[in-house]
Amino acid sequence: MDKCIACGACSDKCPQKVLNEYNEGLDKRKAAHVQYAQAVPLKYCLDKDNCLYFLKGKCRACEKFCPAGAINYEQSETQREIKVGSVILSAGFQPFDPSIYSTYSYANSPNVVTALEFERILAASGPWMGHLVRPSDEMEPRKIAFLQCVGSRDMNICDHPYCSSVCCMYAIKEAIIAKEHSHDDLDVSIYYMDMRTFGKDFERYYEKAKKLGIHFIRSRVHTVDLLPDDSIRIQYATEQGDRKTDEFDMLVLSHGLEVSDSTVELARRLDVELGDHQFIRSGSFTPVATSRSGIYVCGALNGPKDIPISVMEASAAACAAAGNLSEARGTLVQEKEIPKPMDVTGDIPRVGVFVCSCGINIAGVVDVKAVAEYAKGLPYVTYVQNNLFSCSQDAQDNLTEVIRAQGLNRIVVAACTPRTHEPLFQETLQNAGLNKYLFEMANIRNQDSWVHTDNPEKATNKAMDLVRMAVAKVSLLEPLQEIQLSVNPGAMVIGGGLAGMNAALSLAKQGYETHLVERESHLGGTARQLRVTAQGEAVGPYLEQLIAKVEAEPLIKLHMETTIKDVDGFVGNFKTTLSTKEKEDSVEHGVTIIATGASEYKPREYAYGQHPKVLTHLELDAALTTGQVDPKSTNSVVFIQCVGSREPERPYCSKVCCTHSVETAIHFKEENPDCQVVILYRDIRTYGERELLYKEARSKGVLFIRFSLDHKPIVEVDGDGLKVTVYDQILKRDLLISADVVGLASAVVSNRAEDLAQMFKVSMDDDGWFLEAHQKLRPVDFATDGVFMCGLAHYPKPIEESIAQAQAAVSRAVTILSRDEMWLSGTVAFIDQNKCVGCGVCWTVCPYQAIDQNEKGLAVVNEALCKGCGTCVASCRSGAPNLRGFTTRDVMAQIEAMM
Amino acid sequence: MNETTFQPRIAAFLCNWCSYGAADLAGVSRLQYPALIQTIRIPCTGRMSPKFILQAFRRGVDGVWVSG
Amino acid sequence: MFARRRFAVLKNLLEYIGIEPGRLHFSWISSAEAEKFQKTAIKVCEAVTALGPAKHMIKEIGKVA
Repeated sequence: MDKCIACGACSDKCPQKVLNEYNEGLDKRKAAHVQYAQAVPLKYCLDKDNCLYFLKGKCRACEKFCPAGAINYEQSETQREIKVGSVILSAGFQPFDPSIYSTYSYANSPNVVTALEFERILAASGPWMGHLVRPSDEMEPRKIAFLQCVGSRDMNICDHPYCSSVCCMYAIKEAIIAKEHSHDDLDVSIYYMDMRTFGKDFERYYEKAKKLGIHFIRSRVHTVDLLPDDSIRIQYATEQGDRKTDEFDMLVLSHGLEVSDSTVELARRLDVELGDHQFIRSGSFTPVATSRSGIYVCGALNGPKDIPISVMEASAAACAAAGNLSEARGTLVQEKEIPKPMDVTGDIPRVGVFVCSCGINIAGVVDVKAVAEYAKGLPYVTYVQNNLFSCSQDAQDNLTEVIRAQGLNRIVVAACTPRTHEPLFQETLQNAGLNKYLFEMANIRNQDSWVHTDNPEKATNKAMDLVRMAVAKVSLLEPLQEIQLSVNPGAMVIGGGLAGMNAALSLAKQGYETHLVERESHLGGTARQLRVTAQGEAVGPYLEQLIAKVEAEPLIKLHMETTIKDVDGFVGNFKTTLSTKEKEDSVEHGVTIIATGASEYKPREYAYGQHPKVLTHLELDAALTTGQVDPKSTNSVVFIQCVGSREPERPYCSKVCCTHSVETAIHFKEENPDCQVVILYRDIRTYGERELLYKEARSKGVLFIRFSLDHKPIVEVDGDGLKVTVYDQILKRDLLISADVVGLASAVVSNRAEDLAQMFKVSMDDDGWFLEAHQKLRPVDFATDGVFMCGLAHYPKPIEESIAQAQAAVSRAVTILSRDEMWLSGTVAFIDQNKCVGCGVCWTVCPYQAIDQNEKGLAVVNEALCKGCGTCVASCRSGAPNLRGFTTRDVMAQIEAMM
Repeated sequence: MNETTFQPRIAAFLCNWCSYGAADLAGVSRLQYPALIQTIRIPCTGRMSPKFILQAFRRGVDGVWVSG
Repeated sequence: MFARRRFAVLKNLLEYIGIEPGRLHFSWISSAEAEKFQKTAIKVCEAVTALGPAKHMIKEIGKVA
């Protein structure tokens, strides 16, 4: 594997074609293949089950044509024993296979595809390179339908009663992308039961899809017929009971998630408990712990979930797994000796140019000898070499020697791309005692020989141009210093709610002193008012235990009735001023976790405040706990959903309310089966295994009546009782319900801690939720280093997700705390104080808020925060900022050398 | 200069994280395009100063392509 | 975002000094969109080729030499 240079010759020459599983079998690959273009490491492999040599004992074409001698037929499975302290299970899910369903004709028509197949059809790296075509005739479809809940929310043949959580969103995404990829005005319909767009920004995306003209039809399609021209006819009933038919060119089945048999087998072997639907069982308060101590779980194996929550759980599992092992941290690390770089300031550039042949990958097209010869004549070039493979180990050793022997102080490697190989060569420079920034690559493979294959002459000329530009730039480069920062090994957690307390305890468990700051006089936050979790676990006793643990933990310094007055510093070195009624205190810490929670919307609608029995979620939970509302003496209760959520003013779903109302409705029914319980809803969003609660509620006789935004229910005080009027969409008439209690599923709203956001230099979105660095891939990080978030301050979420997020934030924080010092990249901006006029453009445009004003009002770069994007440089009218490694002079030199 | 044999020179400023990566991937996929483009890698399109474009034209390039 | 705004202004300036808008191209391509890169590269090459050599900003002395 070390020898493979990913040239693709083996795959090119391999005679054996097999179905390509990466594209869901929609096209073919060779037996010698790379799994997908972006695979890391980018290495080809032989598929033993299909390779002719393994099947028939002869062929070996790949071996013959491999320029690097990387083919090894002797490789075989080996068994290794590894001693570990914790295990994390993240075996994921398998998509539901709809071929067992005769109803959907999936097995009979190539134009009935699963959503995963459709995803590949739309992908640039897919079988048709992103062109929207239907498989039967490769014609562009004009009309497509998505059928939701295939294999989910059903108990038909061998599908699943739970909701798969992700299908509504991916269907909308694929529908929008399909419309973008279509040359005509593609007609897209989505047939669904409830639209479950409960995640952050998901509801907005749903509204956007409606505006784009995607049709949303609330119905479960019962019949799919294939027509002679390969199109498809579906039959369905509308909500009003009318029978309808429609025809489509393609049908996409939004298939759900399930646990594979092999994963079930693995779980059994490891002796971890599985739930009713084969997902690994974990508790509401221990969301990533399995039934077996020391084994943790994350991702869809733990219940259907999307990318952001999977990523969050992955970090959470890492935190939990490391918690027991904190003493062993770093004990297997070997420190690497790096020679002190020699001082080259003031020396005349002595440039070494290394032209790589990359086997035949470059040399097969570009005349590398001519390029090397040409390089010799360029200014400051004192040494030129051509290598067969510049990245090989012997070439690295040779590079080190040549740098020393020839006294080179600038290096150009003309080879593949710096995106994959710059770090390798930079390391070699370091080993040779050269500052690693005195280096430049000329990309003569990926952006030359590979893309101008038929034009060797022009490719050779272009290679010379690229080498000339690289030499021009490298001659000007100066050694850059990576700044070393010490890291304060303490943490600050702001907010003493459920998320904040869990974060603080996890940090303490990992051995870090933690300051827990709470504005109120008590810990617990919103959870103090909650009754049970979706899994039916009581919140009160857990919270009491949690508070007791936090108070007893010596590493946690509690700051009650305290607010943040001022923040100074940056990642690794924050200095925060805390303020109480009596005094101000300054605390130093290396990282910050913001867990400031959220509030409940106080309704202005539905007679709230006019009658003591019109209660919000939290008030109803509290009233049930204290006995102020007793289900036994309640004859009728009505829940109204989406109070303040999914409205123009607050265009997001509060995520927790459907499950909460359903679970409370069940509680009423259990306590008093004769009590009439009605839930008025817009879409029921009991995602994942919460769907089972919805099912249970219906079987216990809870009535669900849907209303629409333009026909909202009316609540009136009627003597001592209450009267609720709702327009029934099916009966097309008003229904009158008298109620003793009305429960309002009131929105979760942001506390809008703008001052905090400003002090820590972090952002908030339009709805007031803290904005993560990347919604999918960095769900607990802020764009600002060293600051993390968890709990409701990020977005409404149930207890188990808040706790997982708290653990995830700790995991991310520990990546900083566990270091004694940090090295900052040398590629940062700097400001020429003589040119700066303090106009402020740079600190306004800086996306990382890395520019401050000094005492003279001039700009200074905080190198700890700078990411080297160069936006400040381009925006300054005085030319005061510059970007090290990409200075205006460097880029200009490349432009000069271009012609 | 004859129009049919005219071979322009085009300066491409490509963002390291986006288009430069796409260009690398185009190589991996062997997607062919004319050899008229010379690339300068920039850390982010934010770094792109108008003066780079002006200077490129001044140096005699026939076209400039900025891609984020 | 700032880049986008800056270039909108620049295009006008270039046109004013005699550089045709077809000589300057902007695109946004993610690192996974190899094919879009190829297509855009071809489009840019075609557009610039069609315009012929750029003469406006080159000092004639340089050209003669």
